[in-house]
Amino acid sequence: MSKVKNWHLKREVEYPYDESRPKKQWAIIFDLNKCIACQTCTLACKTTWTSGKGQEYMFWNNVESKPYGGYPLAWDLRVLEKLGRQEWSEKGEYLGKTLIEASPAHERVLHFAPTDEDWMYPNVGEDDCAGAKVEGGGHIGALPHDKWFFYLPRTCAHCTYPACLAACPRKAIYKRPEDGIVLIDQTRCKGYGECVRACPYKKSMYNPHTRTSEKCVGCYPAVEQGIQPQCVVNCIGKIRVMGFVSPEGKARDDNPIDFLVHKLGLALPYYPQFGTEPNIYYIPPIHADREYLKQMFGPKVEAAIEKYKKLADDPVAHGLLCLIGSSDRIIHRFAVDKGVAAGFDEAGAEIVRVPVVEAVIERAAYDAKIGAIRNNTP
Amino acid sequence: MNRTTTWLGALVLALSISTSPACSKSAPSKPEPLKTLVVSKVSADLSKPDPDAAYWKDTPEGLVKMLAQPMIAPRPETTTTETIVVQAVHDGERAAFRLRWKDADKSEAGRLGEYSDGLALEFPVKDGPTPPVMMGGQGMPVHLFHWRAQYQRDEEQGKPTVKQLYPNQSVDMYPHEYKEAPGNPSAAEAFLPAVIEGNPQAYQKVSVDEILAEGYSTSSVVVGHGATAKGAWANGEWTLVIVRPLAIPGYSSLKLGAEGNVAFAVWQGGKGEVGSRKCVTMQWTPVRIQ
Ligand code: SF4
Ligand code: SF4
Ligand code: SF4
Repeated sequence: MSKVKNWHLKREVEYPYDESRPKKQWAIIFDLNKCIACQTCTLACKTTWTSGKGQEYMFWNNVESKPYGGYPLAWDLRVLEKLGRQEWSEKGEYLGKTLIEASPAHERVLHFAPTDEDWMYPNVGEDDCAGAKVEGGGHIGALPHDKWFFYLPRTCAHCTYPACLAACPRKAIYKRPEDGIVLIDQTRCKGYGECVRACPYKKSMYNPHTRTSEKCVGCYPAVEQGIQPQCVVNCIGKIRVMGFVSPEGKARDDNPIDFLVHKLGLALPYYPQFGTEPNIYYIPPIHADREYLKQMFGPKVEAAIEKYKKLADDPVAHGLLCLIGSSDRIIHRFAVDKGVAAGFDEAGAEIVRVPVVEAVIERAAYDAKIGAIRNNTP
Repeated sequence: MNRTTTWLGALVLALSISTSPACSKSAPSKPEPLKTLVVSKVSADLSKPDPDAAYWKDTPEGLVKMLAQPMIAPRPETTTTETIVVQAVHDGERAAFRLRWKDADKSEAGRLGEYSDGLALEFPVKDGPTPPVMMGGQGMPVHLFHWRAQYQRDEEQGKPTVKQLYPNQSVDMYPHEYKEAPGNPSAAEAFLPAVIEGNPQAYQKVSVDEILAEGYSTSSVVVGHGATAKGAWANGEWTLVIVRPLAIPGYSSLKLGAEGNVAFAVWQGGKGEVGSRKCVTMQWTPVRIQ
């Protein structure tokens, strides 16, 4: 076992291979306050990648309602249950064990192995509310709400220390040095399903037709051309942005992902305690139960929520959120100046420019020029 | 007398006589621990693997002790296959190995989390010092014959369709089937990465895979040289015959009058064994072809 630096946990963790960070690390940020569970992302991925034989129940992107939803069934609770209660220090250092550290010697990763039945209900628990009794008396008057649920869109996290990769005895899984995307080599995979067992996020799936395991490919053909993944560019709510995240200490303030993750501390990794350094980051929902959110996003969740509530006062952050969803290209650098936010590609060329506040134009309902009443249909 | 009795003891003797008189054979006495696997010549055509052939009656049985693969995780927590009973014959061209081991359930894999029963024979590729017994080592390759119940099912009944594996599965359509002329399999499969990449796993198998390896995590399926296999499961026991050509230049060869080496691995699919989750022999067994 090697000791590798995991900045999510502010400590070194055990991993079967040495630390070897990619030149750039693929990452997606999701604003959970804005997701409407329209599943457009799910379908965008499905029609692009998994409409073939053996992929009938396979959703590399899924959106589940928390706390009761889960694809596969209760995946996170079942992993948490195995791990047991663990602690964080006051300073945000993880004191508990990761799934690799907690693994029995004859396994590589502490895990639960999902069965067919677990994958069969991709949208179980949709819109189920948690919190106060439904009989009445509960009011949504204060934050957090006493009745709550939220939508959690998920892809593979292209982890820095992938559990899937660690578990594969054939070394058929690799992490690309150029962008950190984690792929299963479809020429070498023999369908042992070790990754399906080991991935704590349950994002490696078995294809019974090809008899190999398959997973989210991070839309690498698009990413190679500077274009964001299908599930990102098709997001109706414009709640997602894909880019590249730097490790702590190497963050650039003008990188949109680094800005939200490192500078503002607004976007947090989910279940960082699993120890894989997952690279999908979430802006936590401000209305949901805080204890639940702490379990999912760690001790920094309160600070992130407070930050989010004051976001409108930060013109740069405000500008950046306006850029999200405004271009299908990967924004490597952004700048906000005089009420205009601009995004630039890797070579530094401008790819998009948007006003931070749209101009409000008032006009009379009746347009004399065309002799008709105009509708403001958005 | 029933073969099973020779190693399962008196209790099973009583049981198996009452439950499986059909496979009664005059078997050699209780198999001794195998020191050297002596492969005698038989005047029979070994091109077809036959677990019930008459010549097995006169071929001595040797007992080989297995251990849960101890070196790398993931591995079985306990030894699931304690012993296998080994016999071997040759016809001047091919060698046939007959292997028996206890396995409570027959498992052929198919769905998620279902794994296949299996057995592998391992031979060093080069003469001289033997390679590390577990998957060989760098510059010291090993040549494996890997039988799986799943592969045998493929050979006998074709690769199972999704509908066969999941009879209640439903799907609106597979868009790729409409890409070109309907029913054109090349179009339908063209977007399945493992298929288009030529991964043998995604194609119909014959009973036994040939594999080369030079250490852990290096095994690769190679184009076969006509090895065949046939396993039969009854009463909680597999009886399997793997037939291989004696000489496979560039891979492994068993030479008349000379001594070689063999090692074994067994997987019990019903116990979740696959890949490195297996029971193995911890040392090479000498093989003498006479
Ligand atoms: S497309 Fe966007 S808004 Fe719709 S479910 Fe997916 S992440 Fe949420
Ligand atoms: S989320 Fe799972 S499948 Fe994806 S890289 Fe991490 S461990 Fe592997
Ligand atoms: S990144 Fe691409 S492959 Fe991965 S979930 Fe999104 S659309 Fe699917």
